[in-house]
Amino acid sequence: MNACPIKRADWLAYLSGDLEEGRRTTVAEHLKECPDCRREVEEIRRVFEGADAVKGEIQEVLHSVDWEALPSRVADYVFAKAKKPGRASLIERIRMGLLQPRLRPVLAGLVLGLLLGAVGMYLALRNPSLAPDQGKNYYASQEFLDRAELEMARRETVDYLERSQYVLLDFLGTPSGQAAARPGLSMAQARELLSKKKYLNRELEKFQMAKAKAICDQIEMLFLELAQISGDLPEAELAKIRDLVEERQLFLKINLVRKELQNGV
Amino acid sequence: MGFNMRKIIPAICLVLVLGLGSAATGQALPQASTDEKLFQEAKLLIFDKKWEAALDKLQDIVDSGARGPYYSQAIFYKGECLSSIKGREKDALLAYKEYIQLRDANPSLIEKSEGSIIDLASTLYNKGDRSALKEIEGRLDHPNRAVRYYAAYKLSLVPDKTIASKSVIVLEQIIRTEKDPELTDRARIALLRVSPESLKSVEDRKPSSDSPRMLKIRIWKKGMKSPEVSINIPWALADLALNAMDEEDKAAMRKKGYDLNKIMNDLAKSKEKLFRIEADDGSIIEIWIE
Repeated sequence: MNACPIKRADWLAYLSGDLEEGRRTTVAEHLKECPDCRREVEEIRRVFEGADAVKGEIQEVLHSVDWEALPSRVADYVFAKAKKPGRASLIERIRMGLLQPRLRPVLAGLVLGLLLGAVGMYLALRNPSLAPDQGKNYYASQEFLDRAELEMARRETVDYLERSQYVLLDFLGTPSGQAAARPGLSMAQARELLSKKKYLNRELEKFQMAKAKAICDQIEMLFLELAQISGDLPEAELAKIRDLVEERQLFLKINLVRKELQNGV
Repeated sequence: MGFNMRKIIPAICLVLVLGLGSAATGQALPQASTDEKLFQEAKLLIFDKKWEAALDKLQDIVDSGARGPYYSQAIFYKGECLSSIKGREKDALLAYKEYIQLRDANPSLIEKSEGSIIDLASTLYNKGDRSALKEIEGRLDHPNRAVRYYAAYKLSLVPDKTIASKSVIVLEQIIRTEKDPELTDRARIALLRVSPESLKSVEDRKPSSDSPRMLKIRIWKKGMKSPEVSINIPWALADLALNAMDEEDKAAMRKKGYDLNKIMNDLAKSKEKLFRIEADDGSIIEIWIE
C-alpha cells in the first residue's frame, strides 16, 4: 500500500467512470506522476476486464436457475446423501424436518425467543426487590414476616393470659356450695382458649419465650381438666384445682409474664 | 324326699353368678381406686413437667388391663408425656391416634389430640420423615374446621413451596369466611409466605369498602439506591406491620415526632397521604396506602 493521498475507492470509481469531473482530473493528473499508483490501477483494470469477459456467461447461468425451488433441492440432495441405508430413526426424521430451509426462519425465531426469555428471566430474578415496585402485588420479606409473627405471638399470648385469668377466676371464685351452678359460658371459653393455644406453641418456642410457654402450658393443663367435666363441676374436683392454682401461685405468675410481654418481649 | 332338679339347677347357677359377680366387683373396686390415685399423681407430675415419672404411672393404669374410667384419659396423657420427651414423637403420635379411636373419648381432648398429631407430624417431617406429612395433608379436609385450619397453617410453614401450596385453599377459606382477626391475620401471613398472589386474589374479591386495600412501606438506608425494606401488605395487617418494623426505624420515627397509632389513624382518614420521614442517619422511611 502506498502513501498517496488518492484512495483505492477513488480508483475503483475512476475505472468504472463514476467520479465527478473535478475529482476525475485530479486522479488522472496524479496517475501521470505516480508509478506506484499507476501499477495498482493497472492491476485493478485487469481484474475488471476479466470479470467483464465472464459476465455474459454468469448472467446466462443465473437466469437458468429456479430460485424458488433451489432451497428444497439443496436440502433433498444433502439429506439424500447423509441418509443411512434403511429407515431413518425418529430423532433423525425430526431433525431433518426441523432443518428444512423453509423452517429456518421459524427455528431462528424460536432460538431468538428462547434467548430473549432467558435474558428476561435473568433480569427478573437478578433483583427480586424490583418485584413489589413493578405491580400492585403483595410482598413482604421472610425476615419481616418473622417479625410480624413475633409481634402477633406477643399480643396473642398477652390476650391468652388475660382471658385465661378471667376464666380461671370464674371457675374458682364461686363460693363453696354454688359450684354445681357452673355457667356454660366459662366452659365454652376454656375450650376456645384450648383451641387457640396450639397456634402459640410454635411461636413461644421459636422466639424463646420460655416463661410464657411454661405458664401457658400449665393453664392449658387446667383447661383440659375442666373441659372433660360435663355438666356440674363436683365440689371435690373444684377444690383440687383451686389448691393447685394457689399452691403454684398461678395468678401471680400470669401477671408477671403478662407485664413482661406488654413491655416488649 | 325327692330333689326337684328343675329348681336346683337354676338356684345353683344364680349362686354361682352372684358369687362371681361379687368377686369381680370386689376386685374392680380396689383397681379403680388404684387407678384414680395413679391418675391424680400423674396429672400433678405433668403439671410440673416431670414427663418420665408421669408416663410410668399412666403406663401402670394402661397395663392393669381393667379398662376402667381412667383408661382413655391415661392414653391421652400418655400422648402428652411422650410428645414432650425428645425422640418419642412416633410413640406419642400412636398414643393420640389410639385415643381418638376410643368410644369414650372427650371431644375437647380429641381436638387437642388432632392438633398434637399435626405438630408431631411436622416435627417428624423436619427430622427427615417425609411420610409424616400425610398426617397433615390428610387433615386438610377434616370435618372439624379447627383441625382443618391448623393443618393448613402448619403445612404453610413447610419450606418446600410445592407442598406448602397445598394449604392455599384452606387459608383462602379462612380469610373469606372467618371473623376472628387472630385466625384471619395468621392466614394472611401464611398466604404472604406461600402464595402472595392468592392473597391478592382473595382480598380483591372481597366487596369493596371505604377502607384502603394495601399498605406500602419503603425504607432507604443512606447511600442505597434500592430500598432496604420493601413491603406491600393488606391493610388488615397494617397495625401489625407497623409494630413489626425494626426497632431502630421505630425509634427514628418517634424521634421525629411520629407515633405509630397516629400514623395509622391519619393513613386511614386521608387515603392520599404519604408519610416521608427522614431519620438523623440519612435513612428515609416512606409509608402510604393504596
